[in-house]
Formats: sequence, C-alpha cells, structure tokens
Amino acid sequence: MKSSAIIKNNEYKTEIAKKYTLFLTQYPEIFSDLISGSIFDFAIYNSLESYDNGSPIDSFNVLSNGNGIEIKPGKAKEADLELALSIDAVEKLIKTKDKEEYAHLLGSFFNEPDEENGWIDFMLHKRTQILLDMGYGKFAQTAGILESDYNNI
Amino acid sequence: MSKSSELEIKNKYTGEVIDTIKADTPESLRDKIKKVYESQHLLNKMDFFERAQNLSKYAGKMRFKKNKLKDLVVAEGGLPIKYSEWELNIVLTGFRFCDWYYQFIEDKPLTGIEGEQNVIIKYIPHGLSACISPRNTPISLPLYQLGANYLVGNGAIVKPSTACPLTMLEAFSTMEDTNLPGLDALNLIIAPGEWAVDEFLKSHLIKIIMTVTSSHTAKDILVRYGRLLKKTSNKSMGVEMYTQPFKQFFFECAGNDAGIVMNDVNLEKVAKWNAMASYTNSGQQCFSMKRIIVHRDIYDDYVECLVKEIEKLRYGDPTDPTVDIGPLGSRRILMMMDVMVEDAKNYNTHIYTGAEKIDTGEDYGLFYKPTLVEIKPELCEDLTKAPFLWREEAFGPVRSITKANSLKDAIRLANASNYGMRAVVYSTNLEEIEVFKRELEAANIYINARPMLTDITVALGGIKDSAYPSGCKYYPQELVYQKYIYDGTPTNLENIK
Repeated sequence: MKSSAIIKNNEYKTEIAKKYTLFLTQYPEIFSDLISGSIFDFAIYNSLESYDNGSPIDSFNVLSNGNGIEIKPGKAKEADLELALSIDAVEKLIKTKDKEEYAHLLGSFFNEPDEENGWIDFMLHKRTQILLDMGYGKFAQTAGILESDYNNI
Repeated sequence: MSKSSELEIKNKYTGEVIDTIKADTPESLRDKIKKVYESQHLLNKMDFFERAQNLSKYAGKMRFKKNKLKDLVVAEGGLPIKYSEWELNIVLTGFRFCDWYYQFIEDKPLTGIEGEQNVIIKYIPHGLSACISPRNTPISLPLYQLGANYLVGNGAIVKPSTACPLTMLEAFSTMEDTNLPGLDALNLIIAPGEWAVDEFLKSHLIKIIMTVTSSHTAKDILVRYGRLLKKTSNKSMGVEMYTQPFKQFFFECAGNDAGIVMNDVNLEKVAKWNAMASYTNSGQQCFSMKRIIVHRDIYDDYVECLVKEIEKLRYGDPTDPTVDIGPLGSRRILMMMDVMVEDAKNYNTHIYTGAEKIDTGEDYGLFYKPTLVEIKPELCEDLTKAPFLWREEAFGPVRSITKANSLKDAIRLANASNYGMRAVVYSTNLEEIEVFKRELEAANIYINARPMLTDITVALGGIKDSAYPSGCKYYPQELVYQKYIYDGTPTNLENIK
C-alpha cells in the first residue's frame, strides 16, 4: 500500500495549493511508476503571462520515496520537471470524484488547453531520455496527460 | 499557376475559397533564401539543448491554437476531424521532447587499439536546407522538416504544398508571435514545385534538398539536377570538370507496405486495426498498410471480418466527428484509384467491397469508397506482370489482399515489391516473429503494433525505392555530417616542440 505525507502544511501561500496537496494524497498510486528519488514541482499560475514570466502564485514539490509520496511546499532544489497548472484548472481538478475523472480532466487540460477554462503544461529540467528512464512517461499516461496510443480514430 | 500570382486555397469538401494568399515569385524566393542563409549564424549562437527547449516551448504554445489548426487541416487538407488530432500530435509530441534526438548526434569519443582516446566523431550541420512537403500532411511533415533543421542548427526554407499551405502559415506565424529565437534562419515559401524545385537546385546557398514525394518525382529531381550541372572546358584526368558542388539529397518516397496476418491471431481484433492501418486519411499515407497478406487457413474468415470493418467506415463531410474517410486530395488521386481498380479487373481479381467513385465533376468533394481487391498470389511474384495495384503505391483507399500458404510464402509475397518503407506483422508465434524480423525487406518492421503510433521513437525512411539514402532514420540524423577529429596533442606535443 502506498502512503502519502504532507510536510509543513502551514507554509503554503494559498488555500488552493493546500487543498490540491490534500487532494493528491488520496491517490498516491498515480505516482507509483516513478522510481524512488524522483522529485518534481507543481506550480500554480493565475495567467499565461505569469507562466511565461515564471511567477507562480504558489508551488509545492512531490518526492517519490519508494513507499509513497512526500509533498513539501515550494519548489525543489533539483526538480526533474515542473508541472504548471492554471488556477482555474486546479479549482476544477480538486472537485473531481475519483482518480479516473481526475486523470481525464487533467488530460483534457493538457490536450485542449484554454486560457479561461484551464490549462496545464510542463517544463522539463532534465533530458527526456533520463526522465523516461525514471518512469515519467508511464506516470504521464497514468495521470492522463499523455495517451499511450491514439485511441480516438 | 504563373510565377507571380495570388493563390486561392479551397476547401477540399465544399470547394469554398478559404483564403487567398500571396504566392512567392522567383525573385522573392531568392531573397528569402539569401536572408535565411545569412541568418543561420543565429542558430549557432545557441547549443542543441537551447534550441530543443525553444521548440518544446513553441509546441506548448501551439496547443492553445489546436482547434484553429485542426479546422484548417480539415478544410484545406480534407482530413477527417478525428484524424486531424493525430496529424497535430505526431509533430507536437516530437517537438515537445525533441532533446530525445540528441542521442543520434551526440559526440562519440573512440578508443584506439592501444587504449588512447585521441579521436572524436562530431556531428556538424550541413547548412541551408530546402524542404518540400506533400499535400497529404498539411502540418506534420512540413513542420517536422522545419523543426528538425532548427534543432541541429541548419537554416531551412520549407515549401508546403500549394494545395494546403494555410496550416503551415499559421504554425509559422505562431513562431513569430512567440519570438522563437533565431527565427530569421527559417522561412516558408509558397510556390508550385514545378519552378520552385529548380530554384532550389540552382541556388549555390542551398546544401540540402529534402523532399517527401513519390519515388518517381524524387528521381526526376535528380535528373533535373544533373541537367543543371554545367561542364567547363577544363579537364581533369581527361574528364570535363563541373563547377557546381554536390548537394545532399534526402528523399522520403512512396510506400507499398505489406501487412501479414498469420493464422494464430484474433481475427476480429486484427481486422479492426487493419482497417485503421489501411484506410486512415483515405489511405493517403505513405506508410499505410497497402498489400494485405493473409495465411490461407484463416483467409476466408479474415476477409469476412475485414470487409465488415471496412464497411463500417463512414465517408463524407470531414468536419463530422464520426466520419473516417474524407475527400481525396486531388482529381489525380481519384483517377489513379479508378485506373488501378479497372486494371485489376483485367486479372480475374475479386472485388470484395467498394470500387465506386463519387465524382462531383469539380476539384473538390471527390471520394472513392474504401475498396478491397483480391489478387491471386501467382500474380504477385513477377512485378513486370503483376497488377498495377500490387506493384505500385495506391495512394488512396484501395487495398489489395492475397493468400499465403506458409510463413515463407508470406515473406516472399511481402518482399515482392520495389518498395520497402514498412512491413507489418500480426502473429503470436514467437519463433516465427524472429524470422519475420530477419527476413522482411523493409526499413521499419512493426510486429503486433497498434496502427497510427505517435511515439517519439517512430522512425521515417525506407529501402529500395522508398527512400534515399536507405534505412530507417530520424530527420535530425540526416541533416548533419560526421566529422572525424584526431587530436594527437596529448601524445605528441613534446615531439613536435
């Protein structure tokens, strides 16, 4: 059984980030394809412009420690990548009722991003080949971001 | 089209004019070549990973334009809306993760016999590249050509098809909007191939000619280049000398891919994939599964399953999300399908389904119903006598199917082709799978694969008449040359002082 831990929960700048971390702790299995030691940032932005400028309203990082996940406020020192989310996307994501609905919605924010309704994006801080070896490709599929194949034809 | 005019871009289904754009003239084309050539140094100010990151960011921005781009792909390309997603995703995924291609052009230090490491192989961009794209992919191939050149540090001029240039113009304007660093080293030209290719061949600034076209057009380009080479009166060893330097030619050409279905698979499931692999984008794909080879033990049952799947395919308005088959790209394709089916009828073939055309009499709204034609195996071996449909690429929704007696027979039939882009196999026998991998003559072998993969590992290339030079390859690999550097300084410095 995978476990989740939220560290320093009182250090978030925003309520939305706090709610999102609580939400994510329900589904540690989403992160189970990542090798132990994988660490990446979640950053919440209130506009595309703030994303372009690299100014999130809040951020936290998720470490896969082999037994589950640890969530800490702020960006990690050497994150593998950053998952960027618009505030509208986060507000809708935390209202989803199960893992499948969450993954589906997350995928739609990636595949059909919209400035008003919500969007997500990611920035890689390490080479794609290394990240694939760390399990991020499979993670992206489980999380609903990347489809394994083109299923709609 | 004359050498200076406006170009009307029409909707392939309705015939409506979507837009009128200014076409290039030979003069404006030459100006663009010169400007791109002079701006190439901007790319060399960045390293591979900076350029990769720029392309990745650009792909991120392009996602916000997806609906607009999809609408353009459907309108000017005639691709069904459900397929337009794939057309965009294949290239945007490639851009998103394009640093993955570094493995093919990474410096390679070599160790000598005595353990010394004086040698390194470096990969150097060739220089300005002129790229020509086909009409069946309004964005994936032209954008991939542009991006691959940018990634390795070559300036590039891309000529999208004049039948569907709007999607690429939109993609290029997004590069401008997002201030893609080094953008002056890239450009598009809007001009017909007839004279634009000659301009590319004549330009001494262009080092690479890269096209995705039919094998015959590719050979024609080589012949045209040969004619342009001018001999001088000077001789070298008794041979008249030419002044022009070599150019690099990279051709992605036709495919006539075999798809083998063995007698140990689930027929209904494989037939579903087969229909997708053979008829997606109305079969107007170089890598479409065109010659279907089925083990005799299951032949009749498989044909029944496949015909059922083919007849489920809906053709019509490409904006309808339930439509699988959109209008054909041109009247020429409609005529070709007609000729291939009529020719096949002369060989005592059996038509299982289709063989009907819908001809509006105009240059839009043209359809050919998805068609499956049985060709007797004995007709397939001698390519000088084989039906046209078997020996040449059917670039539309007409497919041939034939019967194989055994694994060996299936391989023999699959290899009976002048083309060798891909070969597809469906089998559960692990020993036989190894034989297929070894014996099939194609540059890309897909065993039990889902059709229409968008994975970054998907390669281009072919053997025989499917590509030049031969082999499976990724564009960034083709756009660089290997430089051998022997640095004897650590060993010999003292000896030469």
